[in-house]
Amino acid sequence: MKQATNLGELFAKLNDLKSLFHYGQKMIPIIQNLIDFMGETVPLLENINQSIAESTAKIPKATNQITNVTSANELATTEILDTVDAISSDIFNSEIVINNVIKTQAQKVELYNQLKEQLKGNDKAESTLSQIISLDETVDTVKPLLEIFDKIKTGAYNITLSLQVQDITAQQLAAVNHLIESVQSKLSSLLTEFSEADVKEVKVNKFEFSDSTKAAFNPDARYEDMKETQQMADDLINKTNLTTASQDEIDKLFS
Amino acid sequence: MDLKFLVVDDSVTMRRIVINSLRNLGYAEFVEAQDGKDALEKLAADDSITFVITDWNMPIVSGLELIRAIKTDAKLCKLPVLMVTTRGIKEDIIEALNAKVNNYIVKPFTPHILKEKIDQILSNLS
Repeated sequence: MKQATNLGELFAKLNDLKSLFHYGQKMIPIIQNLIDFMGETVPLLENINQSIAESTAKIPKATNQITNVTSANELATTEILDTVDAISSDIFNSEIVINNVIKTQAQKVELYNQLKEQLKGNDKAESTLSQIISLDETVDTVKPLLEIFDKIKTGAYNITLSLQVQDITAQQLAAVNHLIESVQSKLSSLLTEFSEADVKEVKVNKFEFSDSTKAAFNPDARYEDMKETQQMADDLINKTNLTTASQDEIDKLFS
Repeated sequence: MDLKFLVVDDSVTMRRIVINSLRNLGYAEFVEAQDGKDALEKLAADDSITFVITDWNMPIVSGLELIRAIKTDAKLCKLPVLMVTTRGIKEDIIEALNAKVNNYIVKPFTPHILKEKIDQILSNLS
């Protein structure tokens, strides 16, 4: 009786085994397809890996180029400022000379008048003196120069003010650089995970974009008329009377 | 009033522009610092400085941190500080106000605004 039970179990197990082989036969083409797919995918992944590695390696060059642009702009701006300062200094010195000429001329006019008085009655001498006076009207000639100098000074100062654009664009470029370096950092870590590729890390700034209050640049820096923004700052400062502003006060101000 | 300005900015260009503007307004004494840390060292070394003009975004110690350091220092807390920055959003201005900045200018600035803010600070002090 017990033998019959054992044979029954044996047949059941053989049936299970048969089912397994049957299932395995069905699985073989699927596994083969999977192997073929993997075989095709590996070179593709290697290509992607290679491509990321190459792109990542180029990033430091890009950031260097941006840094070079900033440096070149700063150097050019300094040269412009030097030139403007030199022009302003020349104008300042020329103004001193012209003002001295005007002062001397006033003294000359005074002396001419005295001489005129002394020469009264001597028509020939009076006539000669009048000719000298008419030839010596320097003041009328040089006074317009002072107005021109004023215009040049204003223009030079306006150039100086416009050069604020250098600082603002430098901050924008620094923000772009930071962004590129962040991408490079992410790609490098991706590569390391991917295939332990040895990609040279570039130095990434410690500060986060999300907390740009501590960054050496403002990613939102803009070179444009800031009248409205300045007005907002003025309103805030006036309303809070230079004391600590609460969020409620600020919200009331902008509601 | 004779003022001695400490002009703090990591941009050489901006420091020159601010100083040129101050010179045009008739001021003659200036000290320069390239970041907040440098500024605090200059303030410690020179007690004749009477007015600070600072940028916000600078390496090492930012302008905001500089203001906090000045305003919480018993010796320096009365020193007027004017911030000149590209940061123009409401939250930034509030943060600077909370740090007790005396006035605030958004770059690019005009000489008229610079004069107006310096005059306002001085009249509030007197």
